[in-house]
Amino acid sequence: MAAVKEDAGGRGGGFEGEMEVEAYRRLFPLPYYERHLLESVRPDARPLSSARDTSIAVGAVSSADGSALVKTGETTMLAAIKLEVMSPSQDSPDEGSLAIDFHMPPICSPTVRPGRPAELAPVLSKQLSDVISRSKMIHLKELSLVSGKAAWMAYLDIYCLNADGSLFDVALLSAVAALAHLHIPLVSLNDEGRIIAVSGDPSRKTTREVVNKDKRKLSLNSVPFSLTCLLHKDYILADPTAEEESIMDTPVTVVLDSLDCLVSLYKPGGAALALTSSLKECVSLTRRRVQELRSILDEALQSTEMDED
Amino acid sequence: MASPASYALRRHQQQRRRPLQDDNWVRSDGRGFHQCRPAFLRTGAARAASGSAYAEFGSTKVIVSVFGPRESKKAMKYSGIGRLNCNVNFATFSTATRGQESDHKDFSSMLHKALEGAVLLESFPKTTVDVFALVLESGGSDLPAVISCASLALADAGIMMYDLVASASVSCIGNSLIIDPAAEEEDCQDGSLTVAFMPSRREITQLTLTGEWSTGRIHEATELCLDACSKLGEIMRTCLKQAVSSST
Amino acid sequence: MVGLSAGEKNFIRGGIEQDLRADGRQRQDFRPILIETGVIPQANGSARVRFGATDVIASVKAELGKPNPLQPGRGKVAIYVDCSPTAAPAFERGGGEELSTELSAALQKCLLGGKSGAGAGIDLSSLMVLEGKVCWDLYIDGLVVSSDGNLLDALAAAIKAALTNTGIPKVDVGVGASPDEQPEVNISDEEFLQFDTSAVPVIITLTKVGREYIVDATSDEESQMSSAVSVSVNSHGKVCGLIKRGGAGLDASVILDMVSAARHVSQKLIPLLDSEIDAAEAASLAGQGSDVDP
Repeated sequence: MAAVKEDAGGRGGGFEGEMEVEAYRRLFPLPYYERHLLESVRPDARPLSSARDTSIAVGAVSSADGSALVKTGETTMLAAIKLEVMSPSQDSPDEGSLAIDFHMPPICSPTVRPGRPAELAPVLSKQLSDVISRSKMIHLKELSLVSGKAAWMAYLDIYCLNADGSLFDVALLSAVAALAHLHIPLVSLNDEGRIIAVSGDPSRKTTREVVNKDKRKLSLNSVPFSLTCLLHKDYILADPTAEEESIMDTPVTVVLDSLDCLVSLYKPGGAALALTSSLKECVSLTRRRVQELRSILDEALQSTEMDED
Repeated sequence: MASPASYALRRHQQQRRRPLQDDNWVRSDGRGFHQCRPAFLRTGAARAASGSAYAEFGSTKVIVSVFGPRESKKAMKYSGIGRLNCNVNFATFSTATRGQESDHKDFSSMLHKALEGAVLLESFPKTTVDVFALVLESGGSDLPAVISCASLALADAGIMMYDLVASASVSCIGNSLIIDPAAEEEDCQDGSLTVAFMPSRREITQLTLTGEWSTGRIHEATELCLDACSKLGEIMRTCLKQAVSSST
Repeated sequence: MVGLSAGEKNFIRGGIEQDLRADGRQRQDFRPILIETGVIPQANGSARVRFGATDVIASVKAELGKPNPLQPGRGKVAIYVDCSPTAAPAFERGGGEELSTELSAALQKCLLGGKSGAGAGIDLSSLMVLEGKVCWDLYIDGLVVSSDGNLLDALAAAIKAALTNTGIPKVDVGVGASPDEQPEVNISDEEFLQFDTSAVPVIITLTKVGREYIVDATSDEESQMSSAVSVSVNSHGKVCGLIKRGGAGLDASVILDMVSAARHVSQKLIPLLDSEIDAAEAASLAGQGSDVDP
């Protein structure tokens, strides 16, 4: 079998002359890709170092306090935040909390079936929580309401609606966009010590004092963005699709924040051993991608702000 | 780490008072009693699936993917006809309060019953077609939205059906029958009637009713639902036609 | 399910067409109904109901709980059905789970009315002890012991009988507790309140075989069905719930026709069940003698 593969890929003669392209792609995926890589182009016509088109729509879920729908190529993620009130822990009485969960429902991919959750989902959940907490993007103190008494518990749930590669990058982007979109409701403390919402309606006079007048938005500093690259031989493919991920198996994920500091670098094994030079290349590709993503995110946020005004 | 106990804010002063008994109350979104919310339908929402559809009725938003026909996974007995496997999930943020979404365990079997009468199971013997739905936002009339969207996704996947299945529900509040109820209307309803209907064959594939009804009311409510289903059927057909004409 | 031969299938279909079913019944006849109440002494109420070879048990357990904050004036009821793996070959190795959920959901729909509580067979406001603080939670459990068709109707009848058999202890609420504290309650073990079951509906499932429909189908007859409609009817002749089961589509007029047929059947079934339940109650009281023990 291996010999046949070598033949088909190496000489490039014989087989594909008689075979339709689609059949060749399915039977000999690696040679098919390598033929493309030789020409420095990918089957979807992207240059190796280019990521797919990305779009962000914030405020997609009206039942949530903050939400964002992000699409990179065909990979689609929906992130939404719901705020609840909790009593802060003894150790950190003036801090709120953020719980991040990544879900892969059966609709996202043929490999996920109900009752058997995808193995990848808890791994990505952990990675996302780590990156978001380590990057110091969120000040948990901003989620405090009444020191020692009440604080926000923010539940950030990210749903993968369609999985087509680079899940971490898109999930992180949707999480960041949802956090940037988060609107904290005005609240006050009632007689029983519970936090209640203050209606925005001016006709209903409230005698109670608003607890969080000047804390309606989170001030995000050093926002993390990421790019996953695949290493294969001497080639570096940015933002791989699911098909590319299944054929070439050495991903490197670089997370940089907006101040250009490295937050995380993740290379979970794989056949190829990464040279320092290729890692440097990955970082510089990521740096370029961060600029792109920042402007896309800013644009999305600005356009919704204009809509809301 | 167990997350600490937390509670949700009570947003709107929980107006669960029943609307006035004299039929002059107005629906919160200003609709007439017999007026459905505008429907927005699109096929091909998730490319990883054999077929998919997205449906939006007011603030109710659902997405359905269809996979297969593919090998039956479980160690199932031989079956000369195909199997239809349905599963409905709610996103954690879909409901007003987090954690209420698990109240709908019977949605999967209800979806199955609404669809099985329409799908030609003989056309994919020995294999399974999986219909997976995710409710992104639960704004009322969730099950009818899921059923209509799923039938559109089946059509998108090229699964043979006798007809599309359109679904609608009616809430009975006091003396009024209101079609396509929103979530806050469902919360104070005295009864409800949900119909899944094949508009061209004029056959009902699923009908459920709760609350106390006289036969005359059932008649009236069914007519209302069937009318709404026929109209929705037209919209679904247009959506499929558009998808085909834009791809060629 | 034992496979039926072509001849047997024809016999069942032909019999139904000619209004003479395999066991001698007509299309709208029930099998003999046997009811026993008080079969589980630990429960607050229980009953065993047999429709021919279909055998089900329902039990009611009442516990004090806290009402749902959104509905402070009402108690809560939970209905669960379990299909014993020995009840039918198809239920072995978890095969009955799907059916159990389906039956539980159907019973909840038919007995608990609309979301506002209107039209409920079980009056939830009668379960309230102290508004917003204490209420009774009823746990109604159904068990299918042996299955020979028409499980839903049998379970509904068993629940009606079990609720009639239920005595809810009288509760005294301690006075003087501050408004945000849980008040002290005193559960009487001598005085019981009888549960009013006159509003609890019966369920009648009409199974469509060929062009006709039959009541109380056996499992052989159910295997020949194209679709079925379960209608829940109360003593006022009002419909309290309706669920279509089975695959094939039906014309709206056929469904409405089936609803009126079910109402017609209910006029005979409800008095029959009521008298059977009363007889069973009398028998169980006589069996216990004078010492009524909870």
